[in-house]
Amino acid sequence: MLEADVEVDRRDFTVRASLTVAPGERLALFGPSGAGKTTLLEVIAGMVAPRRARIALAGRVLTSTGKSATAVPPWQRKVGLLRQDPGLFPHLSIRDNLLYARRGRAGRVGPAGPAGPVAGADGAEGADGAAAGNLAELTELSEILGIAGLLAAMPARLSGGQAHRVALGRLLLAHCDALLLDEPYAGLDASLRRTLTDLVVSLVGQRRVPSILVAHELAETQAFADRLAVLDRGQILQAGSPSEVVLRPASRRVAELVGYTGFVPVPGSGSGSDRGSGPGSGSGSSPGSGPRSGRGSGPGSEETVAGVHPDRVIGGRHPDRGLVLAGVVTGCRPAGALWEVTVRVSGSRATVVARLPEAAPSEQEIALTALDPPCFGPDGTAVGIGETATVPR
Amino acid sequence: MAASPVIVTPPVPGRGGPGGAAVPRGLRYANRSLALAGTGAIWIALLGPVIALLTHLSWHAITTSLSAPGAFDPLVLSAESGAVTLGVLVLLGTPLAWALARGGLPFPRVWEAGVLASLLLPPLVIGLLLVFMIGPYTPIGHLLSGLHLSATDTFLALVIAQVYESAPYYVLGAQAAFSSVDPRLEQQAALLGDPPRRAFRRVTVPLAAPGLAMALAIAWARAMGAFGAVVIIAYHPTGLPLQIWTTLQETGLPSALPYALVLLVVALPLPIAAYIWSARARGRRRG
Repeated sequence: MLEADVEVDRRDFTVRASLTVAPGERLALFGPSGAGKTTLLEVIAGMVAPRRARIALAGRVLTSTGKSATAVPPWQRKVGLLRQDPGLFPHLSIRDNLLYARRGRAGRVGPAGPAGPVAGADGAEGADGAAAGNLAELTELSEILGIAGLLAAMPARLSGGQAHRVALGRLLLAHCDALLLDEPYAGLDASLRRTLTDLVVSLVGQRRVPSILVAHELAETQAFADRLAVLDRGQILQAGSPSEVVLRPASRRVAELVGYTGFVPVPGSGSGSDRGSGPGSGSGSSPGSGPRSGRGSGPGSEETVAGVHPDRVIGGRHPDRGLVLAGVVTGCRPAGALWEVTVRVSGSRATVVARLPEAAPSEQEIALTALDPPCFGPDGTAVGIGETATVPR
Repeated sequence: MAASPVIVTPPVPGRGGPGGAAVPRGLRYANRSLALAGTGAIWIALLGPVIALLTHLSWHAITTSLSAPGAFDPLVLSAESGAVTLGVLVLLGTPLAWALARGGLPFPRVWEAGVLASLLLPPLVIGLLLVFMIGPYTPIGHLLSGLHLSATDTFLALVIAQVYESAPYYVLGAQAAFSSVDPRLEQQAALLGDPPRRAFRRVTVPLAAPGLAMALAIAWARAMGAFGAVVIIAYHPTGLPLQIWTTLQETGLPSALPYALVLLVVALPLPIAAYIWSARARGRRRG
């Protein structure tokens, strides 16, 4: 169990965050660059001194400020931190880099023979066993990481991706009580990313260690984590399962961060727009409070907006599946195997982006359906789901 | 400052490679030859004294000078005092260099300026000032005589003079060597469970070693050749540089030259070995 309650000053804001990660749990910290994600990890690892913090790992208090101040130094924390910079030791071969933590712990230094480190005089049997274990694990891990052929090489010879894999291997061989991964897959291709993610996920499960992944790409965090926390300017805005955070953002800011690009005034909430057909309340999974009941019909309510995610838009009118939008195409460009179509919604200034399987020419009228869009009140907080946002006229 | 070997790479001809595509091939070739010739001339000029030494020595002069009784005493004395000097430098200079590079000292520029000041003092002036600092009629001199030691015209005086002449070279070189080690690697070692001292031993020292070796080699050469301060506070016992000086004064140039060769032979192997070793260490790192 990793518990961290941290307050640390950054140049322009203060990071205030409270996290609890159970053994074997995988938490992803997601947020824009400069949100304080890396700082948070560095505080947990003991590299950065917090203003106020209480950090405990597996029952040991690592940091506590206040009356009985504790600050366990980084080398005694057993917190494994993988940073963006792989930080391989340039004077050691890949093998020695991978085994760095093991040799340090055993109190042995220096190059080992081909059969692994030579056992010391004291406790020779245990040391032999450990050495054999080291070697077996080293071989297995380097196979999985695809660096088995590089063990004798020096770090300067490695490509960026290879160096990253070695750094990950070195961290995994160190057997820490917690794994903190800061953008571990930067600069790796997609297939390797998937392999490494699977590897880390299975090892975290096997070893039952709490783990935190920091990333600014949503897909990466979703592939890894079973819980997602959205961090912005030092604050955790929302935490929950990845699909919950993406489909039910707690606020407009969270929605923006997880990729909602269009915010369309909800018809019937007072905007007086004459978009084609009002969305119908269809599927019946209606949360208790729609924006009308929740927010009243004051002047602010006309700013209630539905968030539209480019990936959660389908062409055509499907009032039973969400919010129907009609508008005019203003732009269209290829995006992967899809087309990214920009649409100006009729009767409002809002534009939405949709990724559709077919291209749409400019100035063409188009109808789209945003699937179950989350709605946000004037203050930016979520007020419900679009399908229930309006009463059919 | 001492970490980089004094090898002049030929300047890139025709100002800029890729942009020089418009320059005719013949002209580029001429340009390159010219650059090479210029660099070679500078290099030869730098080596001039060594060449002069080797061309002006006669075998006869060497044998007559070095067969005199006690001819090798200055050599032994210089080697001994040089070794002691190096020991003192490593013991005292290394921590100072590390503190300058990493210690987070308050007002780091002031500390550095202090080391630089001792580099800028001419050796002769160092010798004069040492008389005022540790001469027989100074508090330190009294203290030393209380211990039945003296810092004038003794082995101790020789070592002190050599230390003062060579220390700045070692400290500044070692500081550069430590500064060149990426502190993130030391942090990385800490994250992998190494306390600072172990990280220092396993990461900092091996990474700084080529630079440290070069700094030490240069300090050794300075110590072996120390003359200005030595001639004032340690005229006796006579080390190699002073032997050259007195021989020159008493019997003239030809008989002084063999000692110059001896000085070169004694002083050079360590720097050359250090240079080769650090070049190889850097090469190994490159894979």
